[in-house]
Amino acid sequence: MTPSRGVVLSALAVLVAALALYPMVGTGYGVRATLQVFMWIALAGSWNLISGLTGYVSFGHVAFFGAGAYTGAILVATAGWSWPAAAAAGGAAACVLALLIGYPCLRLKGPYFAIAMLGLNEVLRALVSYFEGLTGGGNGLSLPTLDATRSIYYVMGGLAIAVTAMTYAIVTSRFGLRLMTIREDEVAAEAMGIDTFRHKLAAFLLSAVGPGVAGALTARDQGYIEPLSVFPLAVTVTMIVMVLFGGKGTVWGPVLGAVALFVIQEIVWARYPYVHPLLFGAIIVAVVLLMPRGILGLLQLKYRLPRTI
Amino acid sequence: MPVLTVDGVKKSFGGVAAVNGVSFALEAGRIYGLIGPNGSGKTTLFNCITGLERIDAGHMRFKDERIDGLKPSQVAQRSIGRTFQMIRVFPELTALENLLVVTRGARAEAERRGREMLQFVKLERLADEYAGNLSYGQQKLVEFVRVLMTDPALILLDEPAAGVNRTLLNDLLAAVARLRDEGRTILLVEHDMKVVMGLCETVFVLDHGEKIAEGPPGLIQADERVIEAYFGA
Repeated sequence: MTPSRGVVLSALAVLVAALALYPMVGTGYGVRATLQVFMWIALAGSWNLISGLTGYVSFGHVAFFGAGAYTGAILVATAGWSWPAAAAAGGAAACVLALLIGYPCLRLKGPYFAIAMLGLNEVLRALVSYFEGLTGGGNGLSLPTLDATRSIYYVMGGLAIAVTAMTYAIVTSRFGLRLMTIREDEVAAEAMGIDTFRHKLAAFLLSAVGPGVAGALTARDQGYIEPLSVFPLAVTVTMIVMVLFGGKGTVWGPVLGAVALFVIQEIVWARYPYVHPLLFGAIIVAVVLLMPRGILGLLQLKYRLPRTI
Repeated sequence: MPVLTVDGVKKSFGGVAAVNGVSFALEAGRIYGLIGPNGSGKTTLFNCITGLERIDAGHMRFKDERIDGLKPSQVAQRSIGRTFQMIRVFPELTALENLLVVTRGARAEAERRGREMLQFVKLERLADEYAGNLSYGQQKLVEFVRVLMTDPALILLDEPAAGVNRTLLNDLLAAVARLRDEGRTILLVEHDMKVVMGLCETVFVLDHGEKIAEGPPGLIQADERVIEAYFGA
């Protein structure tokens, strides 16, 4: 009943080709909105790598986005780097940050880790505001004007694909299964010889790269960043809701969640601006109550879909 | 040289001395029983050996290496495997995946061995079923063969017989005897005295965290201190 591998790959190829051609024909709004969807796929997919697979809920994942944004923006604005190089540096910076934070914090069990990550984000925001010389503090940081939206569209699209492909590779590997054993029963995993700390740390580092690159790309695209715009808790919450909605621990769940919620959000935002903030709260409650595994998680359990979904 | 040496191991929780200066040595290729009333420290001792609990005093050697102070995964990597009193399979992994996670090397070979193991406990039809959907007895078997997948030299079994039906139990006990014949060492905690007496060559008896007796099953059954510990005075 499941479509063959060839059919799936062809469908994906058509989709990618269509998205690649879209900027030639699409409106400015359309291109920008699709770029945003790419960003959300990359962010949600990254959060899924650590939290969906190992069950360690990161409440501060936007910290990596912010760290990438500031790294990229500073390199472009003050060191004159090209934005693609700055984006790579943003990913690297986020990875280094993840190592510094993950090393002590991943020894903490579940809820304590979640709170530590929440704190990290607040600390980073405060630090960025404090070091005015480098970051512009509360006044923010402006980048030289440059219209690179179309190029960034492609790079962000590539990032979304890379994160999803990486998730696929991990979920179908024994490394991925071992990450899931941490979610399932960390004590048993340890007793079976799985070095859970190293596995968690590896997943955490991988989960930081995408947001770091996305942050640097977003900073370049928007041309201006400030502490409040790149470290908002709401971004973390959005990533979490997208993954929970689509299906945590699955390959396509974050993609489905990012697309669906982005579309819903745009519609509601345009028509009922005051209802908008209520929306995510309502979705969280509904998902947790009605389908805690999300759409794909539910289908996976019910119809025993393969892990490649 | 003993496979495992436990020497003066102590572990307290608050004011309770759960394990209070226990010593014993296990030789290769033998089956040992660890018995004692509820709360006598059997599972705590297992947790100490496998690194889940850090011991307060004493030391433990596996072959010629100190293992106290190691992380559970490091202990396991030295080929000490265990099962749990309360089943701990990974429920949202399939039966086969439960076995795969402990393997290294070529995946195809690992899958072949995994299916072989499942066949060994007659679960091959359920290889791709989520472990959480299996019955209690089936989960117990998955946990048992998961340990075997790690090719352990020393296997700690925490109540392998509990909740397993007679037919299945006989298969399981035959498997344990076979593991012994392969030169592996087995230490089992068990409440079912028939199992202990039939299978073990040496039995250790714990009471209030202390070893009160050690010897062949026949002698242990007649030991007055053991009878008193079980039936009270």
